[in-house]
Order: sequence, then C-alpha cells, then structure tokens
Amino acid sequence: MTIVLWICIGLLALAIVVGLCRVLTAKDMGSRAIVGDLVYFSAIGILTFIAMLVDLSIVLDVIFLSSMLGILATVALSRIQTRGHR
Amino acid sequence: MIPDTLAITLVGVFGITGSAIVLLCAVAMFRANDALSRINVFSPATGLAMPLILLAAYIYTLWHDGFSLTRLFMAVAGFLALIVVSSVASNVLSRSTFAGGAPVWRHTSPNRLSEAPGDEDAGLTEYESTLADFDIDDSEH
Repeated sequence: MTIVLWICIGLLALAIVVGLCRVLTAKDMGSRAIVGDLVYFSAIGILTFIAMLVDLSIVLDVIFLSSMLGILATVALSRIQTRGHR
Repeated sequence: MIPDTLAITLVGVFGITGSAIVLLCAVAMFRANDALSRINVFSPATGLAMPLILLAAYIYTLWHDGFSLTRLFMAVAGFLALIVVSSVASNVLSRSTFAGGAPVWRHTSPNRLSEAPGDEDAGLTEYESTLADFDIDDSEH
C-alpha cells in the first residue's frame, strides 16, 4: 500500500511541476488561472494520499470540503480577469 | 470487510489512474494553443481524475475503518459536487477569459458570446442569416 501511495504522490507532484513550468511560459491570464486550478486539485490529491499514508482519519473530509469550495478560487480568478464585471 | 489484496489493488488502480490523468492534463496544456483550449483540456482532471481519487479514498476508508453511512454520504456528495462544481467553474472561467479578450479561432461557429444579446440571428453564419431574412427554405444544405 505504501508503494502505491508514493507512486500517486509522485505523479501528482510531477503534474504540479509541469504546470508551474507552463506558468513561466504562459502569456495570457486565462492560462495562468487554469494552471492555478490544476495546482489546487493536485495539492488536494497529494493531501488525500498523505492522509492515507499516515493513517489520518480525515481522508474523505479533505476531498469532500475541497470539492465543495474549489469553485471559489476559480470564480475569484475569473472576476479578476474581467476587472470585476460579470 | 475487504481482503487486503483486493483493497491494495483497487486503491492502486483508481489512485494511479487518477494521478496519471492529472499529469496528462498538465502535459496537454503544453500542446494546447490558446487559453480556451487549455481550460477545455483541464476538464478531465476535475471531472474524471478527482472522482477516481475520491473512489480510491473511499475504498481505503472502507478497508481501514469499515462501512459507515456518514462516510458513504460524504463520498457520494463529494462525487456529485466535483462533477457539478467543476463544470460550473470551468464555464465561468471560460466566459471571463473570452470577455477578457483572449483570442478565439476565427471559424468558431456558433459564437453567441460575441453577438449582441437579443439578436435573432445569433449563432447563425452570415449565409444562414441571409436566408432567414428572405424566408428561403434551404433544405439542400
């Protein structure tokens, strides 16, 4: 089980690194916003797998709350993009 | 409740598949050319990969702690929230990216966001709207 969880954590960490490289080369605001979303969801996945790794009891709580509240960051970034207009 | 081998196999399959899909979405962002394609390419990560990771987490708790109605409710609610909320978030972000002036492929049709609201020809090509003005029934096309 430990090996499986470390493989998952490694893949998600690699996704974050690739996404951050994309931010460096991105020109427009929309790409940066969506890479921010990618980093957010990858971090939630890593947190879930770490909770499984060290036998925490918050495994489902993390992913439940983050799926409910994940829209807030995206909506905030999109409001920033349009300078406050809808 | 679940044998060890089955639990490890299921968590491995769902967890590694989900993580690999997130990684593939990150790689696909390099291959997409404009911001709208990048937002589109990210949808599998939130709509497919995160529910798979949630499924792996639920199987882990089922194996580790046993069945509980509360955890089942949290897993189902999280699953539905991931699908609905991520779709809405992607739609909102795409609209604002378009409104913020991101370039769109010029042959995009229908493109209702770029037309005035209340326009009855919204979404039609120029040829189709010309036909509609003269009530021509062009069934061959």
